[in-house]
Amino acid sequence: MKATMLLPNRFKKLGWIILVPATIAGLILSVNEYEISWLNVKVFAILNNNFGESSSFSFIDDNITNELVGLLFIVGAVLVAFTKEKKEDEFIASLRLNSLLWAVFVNYALLFMAFLFVYGISFYSVMVYNMFTVLIIFIIRFNYILYKNSKIVSDEK
Amino acid sequence: MKNNLKVQRAINNLTQEELANKISVSRQTINAMEANKYVPSTVLALKIAKVFNKFVEEIFILEDND
Repeated sequence: MKATMLLPNRFKKLGWIILVPATIAGLILSVNEYEISWLNVKVFAILNNNFGESSSFSFIDDNITNELVGLLFIVGAVLVAFTKEKKEDEFIASLRLNSLLWAVFVNYALLFMAFLFVYGISFYSVMVYNMFTVLIIFIIRFNYILYKNSKIVSDEK
Repeated sequence: MKNNLKVQRAINNLTQEELANKISVSRQTINAMEANKYVPSTVLALKIAKVFNKFVEEIFILEDND
C-alpha cells in the first residue's frame, strides 16, 4: 500500500524542533497569559468580536502571541504526526490507522466527560485544549506502539 | 490465518532483517507476521512466496475461524 498522504521522513525532525518549544510555550501560556510586546500588530480579521465591539473584514490591532504559539503547535504536530517513518510499509500504515482511530475515540471520550462534569467559563478552556488533543493523543499512542513493536523485535533472536 | 514463515526462514537460512530487506518492509512487519499479529496484503504474501520459491498456500494457511 502506498501512503501517498504522508510527507517525506525528513520533515519529522523539523516537526519535533517546532513542536517541543511550541508545546512548552503553549503550556506556559495556559497558566499565565503573557503577551510579548513586540507582537502587537495589525491583523486582518474576517470576524472579530471583543467585548461587544464587533467587526468583519477589517484590520484590527491585536497581540498575536497566542495565535503564533497555536499556529506553530499545529505545524509542528502535523509534521510529526503525518510524516513517513524511516521504513514506512503496510504494517506501519495499519498501526498508524489504528492509533488514529484510538486517538479519536479517546478524545471524544474525554470530551464526553468534560460535557458531563465541566460547566461555565471553565468549559471554554476545555474547548481550547480539545483543539489540540486529537493530534497529541495520536502522536503519543502511535509512537508508543512503534516503540513497543521495536522492543519485541530486538528481543527476538 | 497462520503461516510457517519462521520455518521457511530457517530452511533458507535468512534472518528477519534479511527477509525484510528482500521484500523492502520493516523488520517489525516480519516479526508481527510470525507472531500472527498481522495478516499481510496479497502483494506482500506473493512477494514472500517468491523469495522462498513456493506457492502462497504453502506458506500461508487459512484457519477454521477465517
